[in-house]
Amino acid sequence: MNKEDIFAIVTRHAQEVIPALRGHQFQPNQSLRELGANSIDRSEIVMMTLESLALRIPLVETVKATNIGELVNVLHAKL
Amino acid sequence: MQSSDSSAILVTGVGITSAIGHGAADFTAALLEGRSNFAVMKRPGRQCATGDEPSTTQFIGAEIPSYSPPEGLPASILRTASLSGQVALASLHEAWRDAKLQDVDPVRIGLVVGGSNVQQRELTRAHESYRERPQFLRPTYGLSFMDSDISGMCSEVFGIRGFAYTLGGASASGQLAAIQAVQAVASGQVDVCIAVGALMDLSHWECQGLRSLGAMGSDEFADRPQLACRPFDRRTDGFIFGESCGVVVVERAGSATRAGVNPYARVAGWAVRMDANRNPNPSFEGEVSVIRQALQSAGFAPQSIDYVNPHGTGSRLGDATELKTIEEVGLKHAFLNTTKSLIGHGLSAAGASELVATVLQMRAGQLHPCGNLDQPIDDSCNWVRGRAMEHRIRRAVKISLGFSGINCAMCLESS
Repeated sequence: MNKEDIFAIVTRHAQEVIPALRGHQFQPNQSLRELGANSIDRSEIVMMTLESLALRIPLVETVKATNIGELVNVLHAKL
Repeated sequence: MQSSDSSAILVTGVGITSAIGHGAADFTAALLEGRSNFAVMKRPGRQCATGDEPSTTQFIGAEIPSYSPPEGLPASILRTASLSGQVALASLHEAWRDAKLQDVDPVRIGLVVGGSNVQQRELTRAHESYRERPQFLRPTYGLSFMDSDISGMCSEVFGIRGFAYTLGGASASGQLAAIQAVQAVASGQVDVCIAVGALMDLSHWECQGLRSLGAMGSDEFADRPQLACRPFDRRTDGFIFGESCGVVVVERAGSATRAGVNPYARVAGWAVRMDANRNPNPSFEGEVSVIRQALQSAGFAPQSIDYVNPHGTGSRLGDATELKTIEEVGLKHAFLNTTKSLIGHGLSAAGASELVATVLQMRAGQLHPCGNLDQPIDDSCNWVRGRAMEHRIRRAVKISLGFSGINCAMCLESS
């Protein structure tokens, strides 16, 4: 799985959690927070992504990422 | 209603979602037609099944068909709201508009959601779904597993800032929530208080437990669900579950002066009594005492009551005890019908949904018929049978009982 695939999964789940983001053109340097995701939303989006990737890592390992691109990098490194 | 007593407590708004109709107009029409909607339950998680195997159970109940949330409720909230939560928001939406609450100071509004462990089916499904991969359990589970998520969502969506929490009283929860609302208004804690009887979303586990306890039916009518719910009938063999959510708004007459507010009834009195008994069995003494206390608090003589909406679940012992009580307290002359026979036993919601049915009948000037009352266990009561009847209720008594010896009663006078 490459980073583009992971990016697609993250953004798909972001749109599920925040329907207002449907049709949004996501950029790696955007952060979920500035796109309107509160802390619970962000936890949900990441957890849904981990589930889709069957990636068993603690959520805490993803919190340092400050934008979507960094999150994708963290996840990609763990796969 | 012109009331010279500004401290009189009025019901100024209602909301209802049920298996036979959504909203006051549909619900009233369905009740008066004697409509019911009992079947083998189909909601996912309501029957015992393993994987893709066919279900091993055929629990009967009344389920809300084709429910969709009203316009304007935030999608972000609905995404993680349980069925109970979504239906609470919808029913509250109706009651809110009915009582014109958008113009009331949010700090002066309170909310009591009657019911505990109301989201069992959703929790069970989450457990079953994540059993092999618990680490992926959604974070919102940590927030939404509690019933207070429902009162929290209602508080957020409607901007309620006075107070908002849940109240657990088994099958009396809905009516206890209404009584709590009346107390909050009477004390001046808030000006308006909303009582929601939450939809009890049973999983197959609770259905199994209630069947094994002998509380829920039916053996005799297992293959004929439409005949199974028959409170006060000779052939009843337990209560039949029905999904509903009822909402009542109460406030003092002095506060109910907003344009367009049209009160349904005055809450004249109420009472709560316990049997000091953890078990499900009813108590004649407890029921008699609570009705007498309610009548006394209202200052009503029993002869002046013309309508009783009983708890009437279809429990053999419960039904017999309740009729004996009604006779003992001098209410046998009053018209009697069984809302549960049409909408099923809403458990946490029951008392609130049936209060809504009571005030809607007051407004309609008609009483709905009992379902499946072919051979009443006592034929000398004043049953509404066969079809709806014209009658303007003047004074009503509503009774709700609950496991663990809970008895409550409320007296209402029509506007």
